[in-house]
Amino acid sequence: MLGETYALVIRDLRRWYRTPGQIILVFTTPLMWLLLFGQAFNIGKLAQDAPGMDIREVFGGATDYFSFMAVGQTTFIILFASLFSGVSLIWDRKTGFLAKLQVAPIPRASIPISRMTSTVVKSLLQAVVVLVLAAAFAFIPGLSGLKFSQDFGILDALGIAVFLILLGLSLAALFVALGLIVKSEETLFGLINLLNFPLMFTSSALIPIALMPDWLTAVARYNPITFVVDGMRQLVFHTSVGAEYSVGVDLLGITVFAVLMMTLGAVLARKALLRS
Amino acid sequence: MPSENSVIKVQGLEKIFPGDVRAVDSVSFDVREGEVFGFLGPNGAGKTTTISILNTLMLPTGGKAEVLGEDVVTQASKVRKGIGLVPQDLTSDEELTGRENIELQSKLYHIPSAEAAKRTDELLSLVGLTDSQDRIVKTYSGGMKKRLEFATGLVHKPKILFLDEPTLGLDVQTRTSIWEHIRKLKSETNMTIFLTTHYLEEADGLCDRIAIIDHGKIIALDTPDGLKKAVGGDVIEVEVAECGMDVLEMIKTIKGVFLLEGKCTGSKARIKVPDSNAALPLILESFWNKKIAVLNVAVKKPSLDQAFLEYTGRELRDEDKSNGGRPSVSAPKRGRFRRRK
Repeated sequence: MLGETYALVIRDLRRWYRTPGQIILVFTTPLMWLLLFGQAFNIGKLAQDAPGMDIREVFGGATDYFSFMAVGQTTFIILFASLFSGVSLIWDRKTGFLAKLQVAPIPRASIPISRMTSTVVKSLLQAVVVLVLAAAFAFIPGLSGLKFSQDFGILDALGIAVFLILLGLSLAALFVALGLIVKSEETLFGLINLLNFPLMFTSSALIPIALMPDWLTAVARYNPITFVVDGMRQLVFHTSVGAEYSVGVDLLGITVFAVLMMTLGAVLARKALLRS
Repeated sequence: MPSENSVIKVQGLEKIFPGDVRAVDSVSFDVREGEVFGFLGPNGAGKTTTISILNTLMLPTGGKAEVLGEDVVTQASKVRKGIGLVPQDLTSDEELTGRENIELQSKLYHIPSAEAAKRTDELLSLVGLTDSQDRIVKTYSGGMKKRLEFATGLVHKPKILFLDEPTLGLDVQTRTSIWEHIRKLKSETNMTIFLTTHYLEEADGLCDRIAIIDHGKIIALDTPDGLKKAVGGDVIEVEVAECGMDVLEMIKTIKGVFLLEGKCTGSKARIKVPDSNAALPLILESFWNKKIAVLNVAVKKPSLDQAFLEYTGRELRDEDKSNGGRPSVSAPKRGRFRRRK
C-alpha cells in the first residue's frame, strides 16, 4: 500500500514540476494576490480612524490588514489546489492510465490517497512561499510585511502545517472522489467555479468577520476555512485578541470537517472505482 | 509449445449493457498455456469487453470466467498479479520519461528496485528504446510510444499477456516490429498471449488458435489452417482459349479428382478441389490429353478473409464502413475504457 502510493505521489509531483512555467506560477500567483489585494486594498486605514478601538480586535490579532490577509492567503492556495485535485484523474481516465492502475494488483485506495497526498504536498509548499514572500515584503520600501509574533516558534509552524494539511485533505478527499465519478472536466470545472469564491469569501480569510453584514457573519463563523485561519492567526500573532474561537476549538472544528469529508470522499471514490 | 493446461476458462460469459445491448453473448472458450490465442472480429464485436472482463476491469452480467485458475469476479486481486495488459490506447504518462514509466509500473507490481532496474534495462533494449529512455514520452513518435507500452506490460513477467488491438493505427514498420516482439516472446518464453485484432493478416500470422467473434458470439474457433479448410477447398483457375460446356464436362470426368465446384468465368475454368497439390497434375494431364491448350494456371489457397466471409456473411471491411456513422477504425481512439461504461 505505502510503496505504490509513494510511487504514484512521485509521479504526480514529477508531472507538476515538469509543467513549463510551473515554478514561475508558484511565485507569481501569490505575489499578485499579496500585492494587489493585500497592499492596495488596505482596509486597515478605514478601521484605524475609529477612535478608542483596538485594531487587533478587527484583524484577528494582527496589527495591520496585510498581516491579517497574508495568513488567510495560505488557505486560498490550499483551497484552489484541492478543488482542482480531481481534474487530472479525468485525464487519467481518458488516456487509459487509470485503467492501467485498476488492472494492477494495488489496493484501490492507493489511487485517491496518492492524489490527495500530492495535492497537499504541492499546496503546502506554495503556502510556505506565501508566508515567506509576505514576511519579505517588510524589507521592500513602501510595502508592509507580515509581522510574526516575537515568540513565533517551530511548534507554531507545525501547528500551521497541521491546520493547512487538514483543510487540504478534506477538500481534496471530496474533489478527488468527484474526479473519479465525473467523466467530463466541464462538469467538474462547473462545480469548482460554483464553490471556490463562495467558500473563500464567506470565511474570514481575506475579510474580517467584524466588517461583515450580520447574515454573512452567521455563515462565516461556521465556514471550515474560518476555523483554519482563526487558529493560524493565533499561532502567528500569539494572541487571542480578535479570535473567534480558542485554538483547540479551531482544531476540533477543522478535524470534524476533515473526518466528514474524508468519509464522504472514501464512500464516493470506492463507488467510482468498483467494477460494473 | 502450447500444453493441454488451460490458463483461461470461459463458460457462458455474458455482458449485457443497459438497453439490452449484448456486447458479449454466452461466450465459451479455453486458452491453453503457452499459446497465442486470437480474438478476431470487427469493431463492436465484443472483443474489448471480453478482455476487460478477463482483466478484472468490468464485471460480467452472466457466466463464469477463470484466469490462472482464479475466478475473475471473486478473486480479482489474485488474477491481477498474473496478468499483463497492453491496452489499445497509448496509456504511458507523457510527462515522464520512458524509463520512469517502466519503473513506475514495476513499483505497482511490487518488484524490488534492484531487480526493477535490471528488468527495465532489458525491456528498453528489447523494444529498442535504450537510447531514448531518458526522454519525456511526449517527444516520442507513435511507434516508440507503442513499443514502450509493450515493454511496460511485460515488466512483471506476466503469465498471460493481453494485447488489445496491438497494431491498430500503426504504420507498417512499427506493426512488423510489434509482430516480431510477439513471435520472440512466444519462442523464448512460455507466456500465454491473448490478442484481439480485426486484421486477418495479424491473426493468421501470429495465432495458434483463432476465435472469430461477431455480435458478441463466437462463431468459429480453430487453428488458422483449420478455419481456412472449413471454408472449402483450393481454387484452381485454368485459362484456356474458350471455356465452355465441353471443358466443364471434361473436368467432371477427371479420374482421382474430387470436384467441389466447376464453372467458367470468362476464358477461365474455376475448379474448386479439397487439395490443389494432388489435383493440379491430374487436371493439367487431362487438358493435355484432350488437346486443350492451357494459357495460364493459378492456384488460390483459401484465406482467412474468405473464412471470415463464410462465417459472418460479411467482409471485415464492410463492417467498418457500416458502423452507424462512427469514425473509421484506423484512427486510434482515446477513452476506450470509458466509452463502454
